[in-house]
Amino acid sequence: MRRALVWMAGLIALAGVASAQTFVWPQRWTVAKPSEVKRGGTLRAAVTSDFRTFNPFITAEATNVPDTISPYGLVRRDPTTGDWIPYMAESFSISPNKLEITFKIRRGMKWSDGRPITADDWIMTWRIHTDKAVGSNSYDSFFIDGKPITLRKIDDYTLRFTYPRPDATAFFVAEFTPWPAHIFGPVYQKEGAEGIKKMWTLNEKPENIVSAGPWLVESYRPGERLVLKRNPAFGEWNKDEAGNPLPYLDRYEIKIVKDTNAQLAEFLAGNIDLMAPSTVDHISQIRQAIQQGRLDATIKVNASPVASSQFMVFNWNKASDPFKQSLFRSEKFRRAMSHIVNRQAVVEIVYGGLGTPMYSSVYPVLTQWVNPKVPKYEYNPQQAAKLLAELGFTRKDREGYLVDSKGRRLEFNLATNAGNAQREQIAKLIVDEAKKVGVKVNFTAIDFNTLVGQLLSSGPDRPFDAIIIGLSGGDLDWPFGSNVVPCKGNLHMWNKSGQCLDPRETQLEALYSRGRTELDFKKRQEIGYRMQEIEAQLLPVIYIAGPNYHPAWNNRLGGEHPDAIISAIWGQRELELTFIKK
Amino acid sequence: MTAYVLRRILYLIPTFFGATFLAFLIIQMAPGDYLTQLELDPKVTPETIARLRAQFGLDRPVYEQYLLWMNNLLHLNLGYSFAYQAPVLEVIWPRVVNSMVIVIPSTLLLYLVAIPIGVYGAVRQYSFGDRLLSFLAYVGLSVPSFFLALIAIYVLLQIKFRTGVQVFPVSGMTSSGFEQMPPLRQLLDIAWHAVVPILVAVANDIAGLSRLMRGQMLEVLSQDFIRTARAKGLSERVVLYKHAFRNAVIPFVATLGGLLPSLISGAGFVEVVMAWPGITPFFLDAIANQDLYVIAGFLTVSLVLLMIGNLISDLLLAWVDPRIRYE
Repeated sequence: MRRALVWMAGLIALAGVASAQTFVWPQRWTVAKPSEVKRGGTLRAAVTSDFRTFNPFITAEATNVPDTISPYGLVRRDPTTGDWIPYMAESFSISPNKLEITFKIRRGMKWSDGRPITADDWIMTWRIHTDKAVGSNSYDSFFIDGKPITLRKIDDYTLRFTYPRPDATAFFVAEFTPWPAHIFGPVYQKEGAEGIKKMWTLNEKPENIVSAGPWLVESYRPGERLVLKRNPAFGEWNKDEAGNPLPYLDRYEIKIVKDTNAQLAEFLAGNIDLMAPSTVDHISQIRQAIQQGRLDATIKVNASPVASSQFMVFNWNKASDPFKQSLFRSEKFRRAMSHIVNRQAVVEIVYGGLGTPMYSSVYPVLTQWVNPKVPKYEYNPQQAAKLLAELGFTRKDREGYLVDSKGRRLEFNLATNAGNAQREQIAKLIVDEAKKVGVKVNFTAIDFNTLVGQLLSSGPDRPFDAIIIGLSGGDLDWPFGSNVVPCKGNLHMWNKSGQCLDPRETQLEALYSRGRTELDFKKRQEIGYRMQEIEAQLLPVIYIAGPNYHPAWNNRLGGEHPDAIISAIWGQRELELTFIKK
Repeated sequence: MTAYVLRRILYLIPTFFGATFLAFLIIQMAPGDYLTQLELDPKVTPETIARLRAQFGLDRPVYEQYLLWMNNLLHLNLGYSFAYQAPVLEVIWPRVVNSMVIVIPSTLLLYLVAIPIGVYGAVRQYSFGDRLLSFLAYVGLSVPSFFLALIAIYVLLQIKFRTGVQVFPVSGMTSSGFEQMPPLRQLLDIAWHAVVPILVAVANDIAGLSRLMRGQMLEVLSQDFIRTARAKGLSERVVLYKHAFRNAVIPFVATLGGLLPSLISGAGFVEVVMAWPGITPFFLDAIANQDLYVIAGFLTVSLVLLMIGNLISDLLLAWVDPRIRYE
């Protein structure tokens, strides 16, 4: 009898663990069937800048070690749909007032050192990220309009996030990666922020770097190579549809190759497996090598646009020059300027045909968000001349530039950062086209930091006329910038007087807040469409174009994404599902 | 002599403060600072940037930052890297060691090759060999080393495409799987990777130095005491090597002092182009990021080594050239 009871208890425990333990990676995320997959081998990649720390709380580089070894959190996105799905959580529920999300944490997950992963790990990670003295790059993501998002542990496997107001990007916050409380907690308690900052420097022994993700640090050689190895604890709860533990690869090597020409050479020589070439020259060299049979690789040219843009912005705050100020504040003038931007020529000449023209603040790669009905002020010099004539610029002076009735010439200064060849080329195209319609544009390339200083200066009189610059980023939940749209925003680049000057700016600001708090995707999309319509009328920024994404890989790799989801957002593959064919 | 050395060391002190302050000031005069690049990131608020600026001490006046840094320096602390959040010496040292793998052999090679070429050119002036070497030297002088490195990569790739054999690696310092190799294989692996960068790094310098050596030698050979030596009936070998050569190399002794700082300052753009994990790419990054104390700290170490090196080469000059005397 007793024996039977023990047996039954064992069965129940087993069932409890087994039901919640595994996350199955869907077959639709890869082109490879589990039956054709081989285990083992090394994936070799390259990055342009060196790693700076193993510490997840102070890391600030775009490609960093913590995000590489353990990129995931409670939820993740399904690349085939873009939806948030539970990942390290087994489920979540949203409270009726939409201010609380409760996550049930998956049971049976373990750190690479064998300790269980529990709610405490998220709580500790959140505490340290939000300690000002630590200086974490993630600090701002835990606040909405300056009000904190709070986490509460209900029990070891239940976590509750409380938001100061309903937030469309709520899951984005919950996506943060947990780090081991049993490692960071004691140091934080004893030495506080200073203690945390001293941890996990590049000199730390690799075996001390504990990870929840697919990889562990095996070795690091400064400026040269980071070698990661498979984390077996990850494979215990991450399986493919056939039940094989993931990742398939044994190792993931990342070479640091600062010069992109050298990276290309390594890819052509077959020494690295992944590459995302960005110039026409590099792409054609890869294509040539493939065609001539010197390299067995695949390249997907123009797979998607990149979430980044180049644009021209006019300064609305020029108290010292009322003529220019009224000009830059006039939407007719800005529309005329949009008409002189030959976006097709920019794509052809600057990007060698490998770019995408842009007309609104929503990056073209965010297809769900782009309002197809928004008017585009395409290249049309006659229309530009007509609009300028309506502003009173009807006569031309001896040098062929337009002047108004008081004899004031239509002229402005245009700046961009020196050394950025693409922006300098765009500027020169604009100067030429402007001259054709009679606008004098004085172009100068200046130091990047000086340019940023001018662009982000505030007050009624700012020291520039027009600047060409770019931003990147872009969020799938709500693609408008929290720093850009609101009139007090730090990146509200056209008008930094501290208040809205045009009623449509006020309107955009209101719609921005409404959209951000709207949890229904359809309704949010409508708000986004409306915002793009207003933007198109106002033209606060004249969007020009952005580069495209061209992933390439050596054919010794298998398990890439199906073509439909290869894009700058989802990348070319999930490394967990990647394997070495030969 | 002792008095001279002491006096020189005393002179070094104001030079040191003057030079470090100037370096610090110039770095600070460049627009913006380490945090400027964060300002265009739509996810970072201005408050956060202001807070970080205060934490890094970048909001204080320059002289105050300099004095704080100097105080640390006197305690042998070069400062803290913003980007790495670690002491400067700790992040710099491994790259300097990597650079030395190229710098030391290429310096040895330089003197071993350039001086004989220069002497040969002077002794057999206008011979076919001299003309050929002169031509090559002009080519070497006019092709910048980064370009030479690109050509080397191109050639290596073409060989690989044609024959499938990787004669020398295209870039990097070690092969993948380096960590699993036995120590001797590791050493050979690094040597295999270092061959091309060493040759590229040394090509320009050989060209320059051999031309100088040739000029020096020619000048000495035309002097009266050489004619006297020949007139005395000394063998040509003794004339050349005992009398002419010894006098011709004296100016080079003065340049030996410069070797000490160049030991740590890296092999230049070869490192960037061939992905050698040396100090050059690292230092360029630091300049681009305005990682203040990395730049200032590295300049300080170079400065100290340069001052010591100059002192040593002055002393060496007095030792090899009896005409020079320090009172």
